[in-house]
Amino acid sequence: MGLRAVAVYSECDRAALHVRYADEAYAIGPSTPAESYLRIDKLVDVAKRSGADAVHPGYGFLAENEDFAAACRDAGLTFIGPSPEVIARMGSKTGARQAAIAAGVPVVPGTETPLARDVPDVEIARIADALGYPVLIKAVSGGGGKGMRVAATPEDLPGGIRAARSEATSAFGDPSIYLERRLLRPRHVEIQLLGDEHGAIVPFVERECSIQRRHQKVVEESPSVAVDGKTRAAMAEAAVAVARHVGYTNAGTIEFLLDEDGRFYFLEMNTRLQVEHPITELVTGVDLVQWQIRLAQGARLTLDPARTLAPMGHAIECRIYAEDPDNCFLPSPGRVLGLRVPAGPGIRRDDDGVTPGLDVPIYYDPLMAKLSAWGEDRPHAIARMARALGEYEVHGIKTSIPFFRWLMADASFREGRFDTTTLDALLQTRAGHPFLDISPEAEEVALVAAALHAFDRATGPRRAGDAAGESRSRWKDQARRDALR
Amino acid sequence: MVFDIDVNGRNHAVSVERDGERYRVSIEGRTHVVDLARVDRSTLSLIFDGPEASSYAVAIAERLEPGELEVHMGAGVVYACLDRGARTRRRRAAGIEPFTTVAGEQEIVAPMPGKVVRVLVAPGDQVTVRQGLVVVEAMKMENELRSPKDGRVKDVRVRQGMTVEAGRVLVVVE
Repeated sequence: MGLRAVAVYSECDRAALHVRYADEAYAIGPSTPAESYLRIDKLVDVAKRSGADAVHPGYGFLAENEDFAAACRDAGLTFIGPSPEVIARMGSKTGARQAAIAAGVPVVPGTETPLARDVPDVEIARIADALGYPVLIKAVSGGGGKGMRVAATPEDLPGGIRAARSEATSAFGDPSIYLERRLLRPRHVEIQLLGDEHGAIVPFVERECSIQRRHQKVVEESPSVAVDGKTRAAMAEAAVAVARHVGYTNAGTIEFLLDEDGRFYFLEMNTRLQVEHPITELVTGVDLVQWQIRLAQGARLTLDPARTLAPMGHAIECRIYAEDPDNCFLPSPGRVLGLRVPAGPGIRRDDDGVTPGLDVPIYYDPLMAKLSAWGEDRPHAIARMARALGEYEVHGIKTSIPFFRWLMADASFREGRFDTTTLDALLQTRAGHPFLDISPEAEEVALVAAALHAFDRATGPRRAGDAAGESRSRWKDQARRDALR
Repeated sequence: MVFDIDVNGRNHAVSVERDGERYRVSIEGRTHVVDLARVDRSTLSLIFDGPEASSYAVAIAERLEPGELEVHMGAGVVYACLDRGARTRRRRAAGIEPFTTVAGEQEIVAPMPGKVVRVLVAPGDQVTVRQGLVVVEAMKMENELRSPKDGRVKDVRVRQGMTVEAGRVLVVVE
């Protein structure tokens, strides 16, 4: 697009990829997010100093913060996203529910207004009884599974309220909660959309995000195995109705719960680009981020919904985390010593900020890269993803790659038989059996390799003409190098 | 040349010798004739001699801790440690690591609920650091619990076949 990029960085991100590849880069303070990436004043100051015209908020930190969007607007900067008013309205879970109801879109039965800190538990218990158990207790300002608890029975309610409120207070500074009836085996299906400043809104083919661990998405795919053409059309229509009702512009996503009986309910709206946007790009060929920028420049949407709703092939994304799946998925920050990344037909990596020699910092989310695979159909995409995961090596830290290798081979995933509760249940039945399952043969090879490595070290660097080294014909070495790709 | 290599908690003596263009690697009586090409500092290509000429792409990362290696293969990663015993002896001789790494009486506790499948020591036994004391099976996995120090077994508080809770004291080493 011929645009120049200005990056900001905290102390620990000085050598990060986004800094190295930017045209200009500005330090904004210490590594703790609250002192750098969450400082609206510093971000606006950098934007002004560098002469930037627009600000892209990404999908973390302040991406859904109406104060940041407003601060950009007040400073004369174009915020690449919806207006602060729309962010505020859809950012409140109860506000978003009301918008959906007003747009004639079904919502999961629940409370219509926030339950502030001073609403007594007995009152909340009465509401829960009316909704019917199990109920979900959710933070009004929540997201990403934070500030969310399940009460299966009235006995679980007081503890759940306490936990949700305290988590919501520390994560979002807002103890308000609301209740929702919990559907038993729902799928999480969402509709991406784009809106221009002239009233046009275009929906995209759905993304299925039901593979969740503790309410966090770990695998997404498009299209969903559970959505037929009729449901897709109805969902897209509902998503557009909600977006139109609030005057939505730029990129956003409406999340639905799809029940076993085929009915779906509005869940919430994400007023930003989402982590899983690459799979939509893969099956539609649309560059969502470029459209975000064009729409912010005032361009008209020229995409044909007939095309954006018709998936070409199938795409899957795995969120690669710096977590140790064999130790309760505990974060595994540290120095990356080496990297071997998959490539090849249909394979795409995004937002991969990892390079050898750098640390995965302890300050931020452990999401370190996204791996996507496209195939002609779902089995093809799964096969490509499995192949790519088998080639992916991150040296020095533990990652969730072994977990994904297992998941791609799991029968319920392969057959598309899952809902938002399936992965947690599957993990429970595995009862800690290691994902990193090394065969005796592989262990033997590892021993041989370690010994040869040690032998090399002990005998020093080989001379030309030596046995197993550089003296061989170059083409042979090159062929081996190629074979390792 | 013989190397002392720990993999997954088991110690192996691995001998390596040149055999013309190739290497002869022996592990506890199993001998492999291996063709090695070093692609770069960390990447090896191995072809095992045999009817199938099995080929393996292996990447070796040296961790910051001396002797600790990550051996990456398509199947996953194996954590190996070179020469753990000798390294400890050298460090002790250099005064970097004290002979008793953990001072005083040490209680070895079950890290998770499970079943005691083997008791490897008896009260009064002399043990060395990292020597196995008790094997606890949990979630179909055998976990060998080892001595944190050189010392003497003061007390063994479990029997083979017992079910233990997480945190239960199994052995006391002094």
